[in-house]
Amino acid sequence: MARTLIRRVAFGVIAVLGVAVLAFLLEFVVPGDPARAIAPRAQSAAVLANIRAQLHLNRPLVVQFVDYFAGLFRGDLGTSYVQRQSVASLIGPRLATTGALALAGVVAEVLIGGGLGIVATLYPRVRAAVTAVNLTLLALPQFVVGLVLLLVFGFRLHLAPVTGGAGPAEIVLPALTLGLVGAPWYAQIVADQMADSLSSAYVRTAVAKGLPDRYILWRHVLRNVLSPAITMVGMDLGAYLSGVVTVEVVFGWPGIGLLAVESLQNLDRPVVMGTVIVGAVAVVLFNLLADVLRMYVDPRTREDPA
Amino acid sequence: MTAATTAVPPAAPAAREAAPTRRRARWPATLTAGVALLGVFTCVAIAAPAFGNPLHQNLLTGLSPSGLPLGLSWAHPLGTDTLGRSELARLAFGIRTSMIVAVVSNFTSIAVGAAVGLAAGFFRGPVEAVLMRVTDVGLALPYTLAALVIAGLMTAGLTRVIVIITALFWAYPARLVYGEVLRLRRRGFVESGEAMGASGLATVRRHLAPHMFPLLVTYSPLNAASAVVFEATLSYLGAGISPPTASLGNMISDGQDAISYAPHLLLVPAVAILLITLSFLLLGEGLKARNPDLARVSWLGR
Repeated sequence: MARTLIRRVAFGVIAVLGVAVLAFLLEFVVPGDPARAIAPRAQSAAVLANIRAQLHLNRPLVVQFVDYFAGLFRGDLGTSYVQRQSVASLIGPRLATTGALALAGVVAEVLIGGGLGIVATLYPRVRAAVTAVNLTLLALPQFVVGLVLLLVFGFRLHLAPVTGGAGPAEIVLPALTLGLVGAPWYAQIVADQMADSLSSAYVRTAVAKGLPDRYILWRHVLRNVLSPAITMVGMDLGAYLSGVVTVEVVFGWPGIGLLAVESLQNLDRPVVMGTVIVGAVAVVLFNLLADVLRMYVDPRTREDPA
Repeated sequence: MTAATTAVPPAAPAAREAAPTRRRARWPATLTAGVALLGVFTCVAIAAPAFGNPLHQNLLTGLSPSGLPLGLSWAHPLGTDTLGRSELARLAFGIRTSMIVAVVSNFTSIAVGAAVGLAAGFFRGPVEAVLMRVTDVGLALPYTLAALVIAGLMTAGLTRVIVIITALFWAYPARLVYGEVLRLRRRGFVESGEAMGASGLATVRRHLAPHMFPLLVTYSPLNAASAVVFEATLSYLGAGISPPTASLGNMISDGQDAISYAPHLLLVPAVAILLITLSFLLLGEGLKARNPDLARVSWLGR
């Protein structure tokens, strides 16, 4: 188990570094001059050259690359071109805001998806209807679900704020969006695992022992859903923390995704790099955490498949 | 868990034979529905010019006297947008864009992924290590952000969308194919072939590649559906296909600006996206129902 873990951590670090290198190189090929973005009205070439020198943009790419990664290994994400403060201090609060949304979104999708899966398994009559709901939700892009919710609950029913921002009232619709779009995955997992459990020998034994249905459902059937569901939650938390860009754009939720989009428009390379790296770390870290938790819950997963 | 299911991360639990009593449909209804809907969309895509000019701004009769977009009427079946253009014509061309993206980028991303997966599974050793680590990077990329960065490198248009989708969508099929190759290797016929003196190329061509075909055919509708969704998302964010060219995504972006007074501009393209992706998903479900061995190719794997 320890070996499996070390392998996964090593692969994770390699993946994050790969993403970082790729992002760095890509950003340098993106046309556009950050100096021009900072001083759009500057007339003289000297002013622009001065800005470039201040940002060390006049150095060769290799030097900048070494500089950046040396900083990265010290835990320094650099300084924003535009905002004149450290990238870490810009990302920190945005990450917390996105974290709140990610958490609310995961709770929503577990509740909605789990509910759909359980209903579909226990009541075969509505199974076709649940499948239809699943496929429909699966077919919809996040931003479409978000905009339709905004239209109905914000603009028509006036039940939700439409002005953007982060707060307890503002979080409901974006979280519901994530919940609805993510639900089919959970519904499918729950239904598959429950079907597996229900046809298993241990459930037959439990029934033969005369245990009450409710007890069997909770202690034997749903418990087995836990392991794959944990993997899903880990994947989703990681993916959402890397910025739910579209949902944040639709609802004006000031998270890391919105920060990334703004920085891309400003050619604020250090901030873009920071968000991409933080995002990749989140993806890798939460997948890893989920793996560890799963090994704990389900001993069968403790060795890597060949 | 059988060996077959563990080979396909991320942990898609194999849908076992649900109930032995349920008969397997030979030609499932989902397949019929998917094929029929896709047929309709293909026809619309091909015949898009027949629905009118998507760029013609009718400022005299296309807008209300106060300059607002028109609602649904006989003259304009789906109303007009904020510039007085026929929403129906724009919708037809938006569908055309979506269908082209679905078909082309589906093919390119799967081709790249299959090549990587086959090479990694066949050569093993250092090639395998490098290719699969690169695949890990591909899977760890924050999709939307990476897409926005790549978008900055190219000019707007179909090519940009297809390049972005290929660059981001190849990793999952690569993992899928790689897992399948490893699974096949355990079955021994590759080794017997090699023992009989088959060359490497012959092994790939005769023994491995043909086995990938059903797997990839089953996966491609799901991939195509994701591609349609992603194109719309990119164009919505302004990183895909830019106006005035119609795409369902940029139509929704336009519709968002008119959300409080002309909700049909948002809802019409939204319903179109829903129906296109739904028809691909139905096709995928139908293919899986016909071939339960492939049920592990799940839309669970994003």
